[in-house]
Amino acid sequence: MPKLIKERISTPERPPEERVKSFVEVNLGYTFELAVREAERCLQCPVEYAPCIKGCPVHIDIPGFISKLVEYRDDPDKAVKEALRIIWNDNTLPAVTGRVCPQEDQCEGVCVVGKVGDAVNIGKLERFVADYAREKGIDIGLLRENSRTIRKNGKKVAVIGSGPAGLTCAAELAKVGYDVTVFEALHKPGGVLIYGIPEFRLPKKILDREIAKLRRLEVRIATDHVVGRTVTIEQLLREYDAVFIGTGAGTPKLINIPGILLGRIYSANEFLTRVNLMKAYEFPEYDTPIAVGNRVIVIGAGNTAMDAARSALRLGAEVTIAYRRGPEDVSARVEEVHHAEEEGVKFEFFLSPVEFIGDENGKVRAVKFERMKALDERDSRGKRKIVGTGEYVTLEADTVIIAIGLEPNKIITEEKRLKTNPNGTLVVDENLMTSIPGVFAGGDAIRGEATVILAMGDGKRAAKAICDYIQSKNA
Amino acid sequence: MYRITDKRDLSPIDYFIEVEAPHVAKAWKPGQFVVFITNERGERVPMSVYKAENGKIGMFIRKLGKTSLQLYHEFSVGDELYSMVGPLGKPIEVKHYGNVVFASDAVCGQAENYATLKAMKEAGNHTISIQSFENAENVYPEKFLAKPVADEHYITTDDGSVGIKGNYLDVVRELIEKDKVDVIFAGGKLGTLSKLAELTRPYGIPTITTVRQIMVDGTGMCGSCRILYDGKVRFACRDGPMFDAHKVDWEDVLKRANRFLEQEKLAKERYLEELRKKGVV
Repeated sequence: MPKLIKERISTPERPPEERVKSFVEVNLGYTFELAVREAERCLQCPVEYAPCIKGCPVHIDIPGFISKLVEYRDDPDKAVKEALRIIWNDNTLPAVTGRVCPQEDQCEGVCVVGKVGDAVNIGKLERFVADYAREKGIDIGLLRENSRTIRKNGKKVAVIGSGPAGLTCAAELAKVGYDVTVFEALHKPGGVLIYGIPEFRLPKKILDREIAKLRRLEVRIATDHVVGRTVTIEQLLREYDAVFIGTGAGTPKLINIPGILLGRIYSANEFLTRVNLMKAYEFPEYDTPIAVGNRVIVIGAGNTAMDAARSALRLGAEVTIAYRRGPEDVSARVEEVHHAEEEGVKFEFFLSPVEFIGDENGKVRAVKFERMKALDERDSRGKRKIVGTGEYVTLEADTVIIAIGLEPNKIITEEKRLKTNPNGTLVVDENLMTSIPGVFAGGDAIRGEATVILAMGDGKRAAKAICDYIQSKNA
Repeated sequence: MYRITDKRDLSPIDYFIEVEAPHVAKAWKPGQFVVFITNERGERVPMSVYKAENGKIGMFIRKLGKTSLQLYHEFSVGDELYSMVGPLGKPIEVKHYGNVVFASDAVCGQAENYATLKAMKEAGNHTISIQSFENAENVYPEKFLAKPVADEHYITTDDGSVGIKGNYLDVVRELIEKDKVDVIFAGGKLGTLSKLAELTRPYGIPTITTVRQIMVDGTGMCGSCRILYDGKVRFACRDGPMFDAHKVDWEDVLKRANRFLEQEKLAKERYLEELRKKGVV
């Protein structure tokens, strides 16, 4: 029985005053030595009991991969390779999930060590394994080993969307011999990983590597294809044996209050797409502009709101997050809130916007809010219900970013025969098949707004279901 | 990639460019647009379509900002664009209406004028094209006008140097008086479109116009192109770009079109300076 070490080994971070000046990644991650020390804190709960495995949406054998770091501590490359092998059984994008999963609500939230001290830093260990493997080319080696035995089966699958769900589904299918084409509407693959999550949280080089791995598996990526416009699902079904829809929840919800059309009011998607995908922070070196003033108000308190707030900060603005609920109901990851606070983002709670006020040029100059108060009663998501107080406050702002959520894009749901729920998500059965036989779906397209890891889990499940479907069709 | 197969001047301010993009050309229908990117550092540019034939997309472009100038000065036949996606937006309904008018007074509108009336003529309509230009110099070569697809064709110029003096609103007014308009489509300057909406409103003539707004992705992902339509927020890229002009809140549309004026000016000035240094302009 290992000795219990209550305090976690911290990962180095760049200091706030330095990082607010650039889009370079904030957390520097573990070195091998630090990772081993953190790995030693894991109590190695047996697989059938381990709460972390149950807490993980894709049930990674967490004690298993952590144990390899300790077991092969004298041979770092071997340790990482064996750990990666275990992670890949359930998760093909650990460099991404290690960075963006809300671990405190999942694996780390239920960690036994966490009951008496800090939970084992599972997220950072996962990230370490993935990063080290990438830097040393271990991932490519392992991929080559795993894919040496691939025999093409002559069956074709179309994957729509190249976000976490689509990338995972495509990789899983390619590994077992399917001929996969991914259709992506934008000019670069990655979905939310490229347009949404900023460089300082998820460097693009990680995504580039994942795409390179897919190409190695001979997955074809057709960018500049909007399924529903360039080609329809019906047309795809004539050419492909099955279709997977992983189109996410890409349409921003806007607040239906006066002034929503004023200039310098952005949806978080517009703001982040301009900044991340189009690199507006390098305007005019890059052609896409972004107009940000000195005082930015971000409405909402999820991860997207934090990403937008911290991006705006890096463009030189003073940033305030205004949230209609209280601090305990903030839905962003703890680490993101912490980073935002450290970097100087201000938080205003219990403020719900009622009007955007414009200047004579049609640009926003202030936001009028109603002050809210929380009740003891909780809603279905466990958040305290709120009511208006009738008291109003007006905060000056020359830029507003709305980050109150997203819903599925209607272009795909307009397809004939594709059934949707009232909230716009696609209806699927227990095998993730939609109302059209042979067409499967997963990720935010069926969940509304969820996480990268759940989308990947769906991609993997759908890949299995697609294999079964095609096999049964040909039996 | 997207190879440029033709490029030529339409006037001192506008040019024609044709690009290979078979997947887009195959699916395109009148009313829809495309988005292209010139190079890796480029912006996503929404653009109307003049022709989509033989796997190629033809477009009319005005030398207005940095990207359109760059495409004009730095790209030649045989060069490739970085990206072209589409078709985007909803097609208009092509059917038998009777007398169909298309009125346009700017570069994209001129492209839409030809494209729309071609389809409308094939659907058995009596097609009437009105194309407005600033002056004789800016009028396109005959081959690029909508004449071949128009049963009646009018040109107007601001100074009357060619065709009718005035703009398309004057011609539309006359056509309405002659009871010759069953439906009118229009594209071009937003200010004129808003006036057209007011002109036809009292007569209840169906008026479908392009509402050009600043876009990023063009697929409904960012909401940059949102407009108020019939009191509700709509995205021009996904729900349009052609809308019933009588339901559009034109005041907001006109304001939103100017959101990035400062940045656009800065980028253009910088680029013109570059061209001046090279001795191109």
